[in-house]
Amino acid sequence: MTAPVLQVEGLAVHLRGESGVARILDDVSLTLPRGGTLGVVGESGCGKSTLLRAILGILPRGAETPTGAILFEGRDILSDHAESARGRIGFVPQDPYLSLNPVFRAGDQILEIMRRHAPGSRRDHRDRLVELFRAVQLPDPEAALRKYPHQFSGGQRQRLLIAAALACDPALVVADEPTTALDVTTQREILALLRSLVTERGLSLLFVTHDFGVLASVCTEVAVLYAGRVAEAGPTRAVLDAPRHPYTRLLLACHPDRATDLAGIPGTVPAATAQPPGCRFHPRCPVVHSGCAVEVPTMVALGAGRAVACPWHEAALA
Amino acid sequence: MRPPLPEILGASDLVVELGGRRGLLRRRAGVRAVDGVDISIAEGETFGIVGESGCGKTTLARALLGLQRETAGDVRLQGRRVSGLDPRAARHVREAVQYVHQDPGAALDPWWRVGATLAEGLAIHGVTDRTDQRARIAEILAAVGLDAAMAEHYPHELSGGQQRRIGLARILLLRPKIVILDEPTAGLDLSVQAAVLRLLRDLRARFGLTYVFISHDLSVVRRVCDRVAVMYLGRIVEQGSTATLFAEPRHPYTRALIAAAPHLDGRESGPSLPGDPPSLRAIPLGCRFHPRCAAAADTCARREPVLEQSGAAHAVACLRWRDLDAA
Repeated sequence: MTAPVLQVEGLAVHLRGESGVARILDDVSLTLPRGGTLGVVGESGCGKSTLLRAILGILPRGAETPTGAILFEGRDILSDHAESARGRIGFVPQDPYLSLNPVFRAGDQILEIMRRHAPGSRRDHRDRLVELFRAVQLPDPEAALRKYPHQFSGGQRQRLLIAAALACDPALVVADEPTTALDVTTQREILALLRSLVTERGLSLLFVTHDFGVLASVCTEVAVLYAGRVAEAGPTRAVLDAPRHPYTRLLLACHPDRATDLAGIPGTVPAATAQPPGCRFHPRCPVVHSGCAVEVPTMVALGAGRAVACPWHEAALA
Repeated sequence: MRPPLPEILGASDLVVELGGRRGLLRRRAGVRAVDGVDISIAEGETFGIVGESGCGKTTLARALLGLQRETAGDVRLQGRRVSGLDPRAARHVREAVQYVHQDPGAALDPWWRVGATLAEGLAIHGVTDRTDQRARIAEILAAVGLDAAMAEHYPHELSGGQQRRIGLARILLLRPKIVILDEPTAGLDLSVQAAVLRLLRDLRARFGLTYVFISHDLSVVRRVCDRVAVMYLGRIVEQGSTATLFAEPRHPYTRALIAAAPHLDGRESGPSLPGDPPSLRAIPLGCRFHPRCAAAADTCARREPVLEQSGAAHAVACLRWRDLDAA
């Protein structure tokens, strides 16, 4: 395997607000090999969206300068605000209903992106877009160019947005829960499309989701985030079949396919302004030891590409 | 189809037309969002309604509640016919049926403390004594697992899970018999969802409730519902006990829905369902599902199937279910 497309190293993003400093992400490291599919999974407030924003260079105002590094094709896009490099990162947003301007033709909105970032004449762009519409399986690609967003169904709009993400021939596509607004039947089609684009175009995909079922269907690798840190990472199948971090184990036990008693997890995710010291999961953890409140756990390698941020990962859940 | 227990809420041949207008000379036809639905919900059960968006789930719920006047057909509540009334009168006789909004946070007034919102509901239903109100609110907050001090909070101070609990508290105060839950877990994190589902189960036992559970999340439906009805374009296409329906789905649409739900083990089963449901303004002739159906035969475009008994606790509206079952 060649050099990874994306490598996040020790990334920390803090926001200064009225209620103090919010530690949204701390010491996050991830690797996405070329042609790979990495899922970032976690509950609301775990920092998934902020991670995406840091990669896309669209952190909100008030964010302190992030520390760590984000290497895209070997180049640190965090330290030099590399607009040109970021043109090679495609983005698929969460809500296809909110992400297109209703008063402009959908095709024109994508052509605008191409004029800004991709070489070639208008004619080239148009031809490329028709080809892309075909690749994302929009019915009647030529006619689709002239249609307005409301003339497409939700699933078709998500296909349009995937075409937009591919418009500038990206090396990396990041997707932010691209199927949450869709029906299961449409979701399945969109997930199948993403999988086929990864294999046929050699795309690398960073996929943010809170749905383990969706994760299992698209991503071969996973990183589980909790309260701004990576709790566990490794091949998706292995992590889902035998989770090792107490958080991952409890969370998966909440899944309706698995749950025995729908227990939930006691307590709530801490506010980013009040992250507990030591392991951030320790106030909710059933296997908590005295050291957990003091020492920040480091990632322990488990072999076979797996790692877990818990020294007690072999302990049984109480 | 008869439920195993005495019926508490039911409808026959229910039709709800939306957007129809009576002009000066002629009537402009609306769309039939619910088109000939028979349903019979037993006391104490959790009855699931599933289907893609636009299939008529929410319109059916609104008609059962009495918020939307039925165009034709009957609604029965506790053995009484309660249809043929305008919404105000209908809501009055159907007080025992209450509804929990899909996004209970949006249903709370941001300028009102939670306690004031809860008290308003009580006042509307005739409980005006302050001490009485406070006692009942404290009791209900405890029942949904919230501290009584929560009454002093504003909606924005609550988490998503807490907002769901307030949404439940709000209608439980009115002592309903039947609660219609519209996508009660949409947008919730897995751990919060588990806690909410467990709470719903406990409340059902404690208050003797019957649930109508509208959801598109089949994993959740499978987990909590006793019986399930599958809707497509305003009709029920299959109905049965949850165990039977998931183990032996008979309608090709149900099969496709179950196959589409993502699983933890990453497996994908059965054929996918391409395309979107057609518009209610252009309902296909014959079986409404036939243009998307992998098993459609010539007859499906001509004859419209009716819901027929296909087992002890199972009914399906498909002309070809026997052939498909044998295959």
